[in-house]
Amino acid sequence: MSRGEQTLTVSAGAKTRPRKAATRRQKQERLVAVGFLAPFMLLLLIFQYVPLLVMARNSFYDYSLLNPAAEKFVGLRNFADMIEYDDARRSFGITFLFAFGVVVFVIPIAFALALFLNSKLPARGLVRTMIMLPVVTSSVVIATMWSFLLDPSNGLINGALDIVGIARQPFLTSTQQALPSLIAMTLWQQVGFGAILFLAGLQGVPSELGEAARIDGATRWQVLWNITIPLLSRTTLFVVVIMTVFSLQAFAPAFLMTQGGPQEATNLIVYHIYNTAFIMQQAGYASALSVVLLLVVLAISMVQMALLRSRWNY
Amino acid sequence: MATTRIRRSALTLVIILLIIACFLAPYAWVVASSLKNQFTVFGDVTPLSWRAFVPVGATIENYVSLFERTNILRALLNTAIVAIGQVVFTLLLCSMAAYALTRIKFPGANVVFMLILLTFLLPIEAMMVPLYQVVSGLGLSNTLVGIMIPWIASPFGLFLLKQAFEELPAELEDAARIDGAGHVRIFFSIVLPNVKVPMVTLGLITFLFCWNSFLWPLVIVQDPARQIIQVAIAQQGSPTQLPNWGETFAGATVATVPLILLFLVLQKYFTQGMATSGIKG
Repeated sequence: MSRGEQTLTVSAGAKTRPRKAATRRQKQERLVAVGFLAPFMLLLLIFQYVPLLVMARNSFYDYSLLNPAAEKFVGLRNFADMIEYDDARRSFGITFLFAFGVVVFVIPIAFALALFLNSKLPARGLVRTMIMLPVVTSSVVIATMWSFLLDPSNGLINGALDIVGIARQPFLTSTQQALPSLIAMTLWQQVGFGAILFLAGLQGVPSELGEAARIDGATRWQVLWNITIPLLSRTTLFVVVIMTVFSLQAFAPAFLMTQGGPQEATNLIVYHIYNTAFIMQQAGYASALSVVLLLVVLAISMVQMALLRSRWNY
Repeated sequence: MATTRIRRSALTLVIILLIIACFLAPYAWVVASSLKNQFTVFGDVTPLSWRAFVPVGATIENYVSLFERTNILRALLNTAIVAIGQVVFTLLLCSMAAYALTRIKFPGANVVFMLILLTFLLPIEAMMVPLYQVVSGLGLSNTLVGIMIPWIASPFGLFLLKQAFEELPAELEDAARIDGAGHVRIFFSIVLPNVKVPMVTLGLITFLFCWNSFLWPLVIVQDPARQIIQVAIAQQGSPTQLPNWGETFAGATVATVPLILLFLVLQKYFTQGMATSGIKG
């Protein structure tokens, strides 16, 4: 802008008139832009940036949500507590394990489903609809459904195990099986979404590449391993990050199916934060936990953006 | 050659049956059991028979008692109000902002865009505690407005529409501008009618997100009269506490069927939106 005005004063004369008119128009344009943007930006600031500041500030305080006025500045005490007591470490550990378990299984299965859907298939639309059902079902309904499916005495899965001749399993009531059960459920819930993302990636792979390799004598597996999979590395990274970030924020399974138990074996971090803030009324400590979770998720997203920006073109 | 073809189609069939068993059977069991009494539900599972997936001797008594005993009707109504409100305002605000960012030149556009971009990375479930304080500080706790207002300025929605707006050719509006049309008129009568597909996609994904949201409504609303459907069915109980499985299944069915119908009818918009953006509710 200022540079434009400088050239304006230098050139002066006949050019001044249209230039001035343009500035008036520019001002008007700016006003219109503010009008169009203001409602969105106002809500964004109030409900995204203000909570962010509130959270950062409150992580240095000791207070309860029932009586926030009686707050006490405690410095880094909340963060020190996180190191001193092992609730935070355990909860984050369980959450990472959960996310890892989900990702490790979602990626290959979703990819295989995408390959299946990308092949010549009768009733392809129907298959796609079926695997998408859990994606559009709420996590509350899925958690409810699965806690009945996994019920030790009358659940459907134990009924099926009976038929195959496998002993009945305790699932959610066992410290060893509870977390794997939640991983299996989340896998079931998310795999269709992963498959759709992979399918979109597969459809972007030029088919001539594979056909040329096949003519040169490559087997199907070689084409898959040496051409298709490397070409989908961006998509894969994208799916890995989305599934990780989603799993780190899981709440309904722990809240509805296990209450974090047995013996805190499924005490996922968002459930732990919820309990700390709203049940135990230690909102300062909960804010500190939230800050750490936020930083973890941000770090993962940053790594993704950095990797996606680097050139991975084949 | 012929045998490999037969083997391949046999394999395909097996995979399809496996997918049906994994993805369709649980739904069939829940819906069928919602139409049975407790005895039959248990009897059909141990030993497991095909009857578990079929409503043999269907009765609607679970649904009758669900609607009589709980305030699920109220919760459904509340959810519909919140979801429709959220869809309308998200579409309006996101499209206005996307218009400003793509069709108006103004200084600071990059800063504004960065501010929006950054919020895209914030994990919303990690923000519940401070968000609760902000929203209740505004006096909006225990209100339907409080449930929807934090999500209206959706960075995801903005990106989806911004992308669509950028693809619109500039010639579309040039003619109108020469005729003296202002931005408001260009926005409503030229740009919006040409981005129907992304608008529908965003509307559907917003509806899905809103209908299925749980943690935030659980936190911000305690008043049972303002409860939404997911919280209502979550409070019905677990297998061990609750004597009546059928009624819980009826609740789950009622909470899911509207969304699945919507999904079946408008599936291509859902899938398209999710595949291009990689984000879901």
